[in-house]
Amino acid sequence: MAGGLPHPVLWSTLLHVDEVTIGGATVEFKHVFYTWCAMAVLFSLGLLVRGGLKLVPGGIQNVFEVVIGGLEDFVVTNIGEDGRKVFPLLGGIFLFILFQNLLGLVPGCDAPTANVNTNAAMAVFVFLYYNYQGVKRWGPGYIKHFMGPMWWLSPLMLPLELISHTARPLSLTLRLFGNIRGEEIVLVLFFLMAPLVGTIPVYFLFMIAKVLQAFIFFMLTMIYLKGAFEHAH
Amino acid sequence: MFFKDWFKINDKKYLDAISTAGVIGLHMVSATVVGLAMGWYLDRWLGTKPWLTGVFLILGIVAGFKNVWLDSRRLLKAQDKEDAEKFGPKDG
Repeated sequence: MAGGLPHPVLWSTLLHVDEVTIGGATVEFKHVFYTWCAMAVLFSLGLLVRGGLKLVPGGIQNVFEVVIGGLEDFVVTNIGEDGRKVFPLLGGIFLFILFQNLLGLVPGCDAPTANVNTNAAMAVFVFLYYNYQGVKRWGPGYIKHFMGPMWWLSPLMLPLELISHTARPLSLTLRLFGNIRGEEIVLVLFFLMAPLVGTIPVYFLFMIAKVLQAFIFFMLTMIYLKGAFEHAH
Repeated sequence: MFFKDWFKINDKKYLDAISTAGVIGLHMVSATVVGLAMGWYLDRWLGTKPWLTGVFLILGIVAGFKNVWLDSRRLLKAQDKEDAEKFGPKDG
């Protein structure tokens, strides 16, 4: 599991979905299973909140209003009014990654973001999405975003921008993967050395770190969308 | 509620600053790696063994530095905004 270390116990092992055979090929399925777990938690929370919407928010609706309202303010101050159009995606990414990360702290569960495939999928999606928004906004003129400030610099700037844009999904993937995977390994190590006594203090540290990682992914997506929206130089 | 207060007080300003600072290092490295990989595969494809790898490696390093520059400008801008709120707009 985490870096070859034995994970104490996993629900996916008990349910025999560690690996599944699709069309004769055996593939790892653990991270997909836990992604579905995170989705199930989010869907049920969403339906729960929607079912009990009140004018005076209380309990869980209050939490959601604070989180979503705060994030929306943050996005609108950074991108401007365009931000409201893409906010559902941004907020969705934040909550999705947050729950995926925090799933690693639940006993018997593993963070799906500790597998590089989950992160790569999300990063590639973000990459395609902001380019799509840019093309939709500017049409063929979107190429000017890659040309640099002066026209005679464009032969130099085009490969430069191409490289730095291609580097974006790579750095998104690796950052999230490295942080979450590292935390999982440390958690398992602490659990092996001193069960419970050792793990509980690091739980709080990692809770902060995992929220921070979800926020970083969200913030970078927002910056990329901002870059696609604003006028080229 | 603890969570609500935490979210309000921090105003996402510190979270924003920490995230930007944490992002800088990997931005530089990933641009370099992408440049190197691009050059490597272009070389394999076009059969121009050592040349394109070097050129694209240098381009990747330059792109990485550009990323770092943009990120630090973002940090500084946030800092200036905070100062302006605290001490009034800067003159000159």
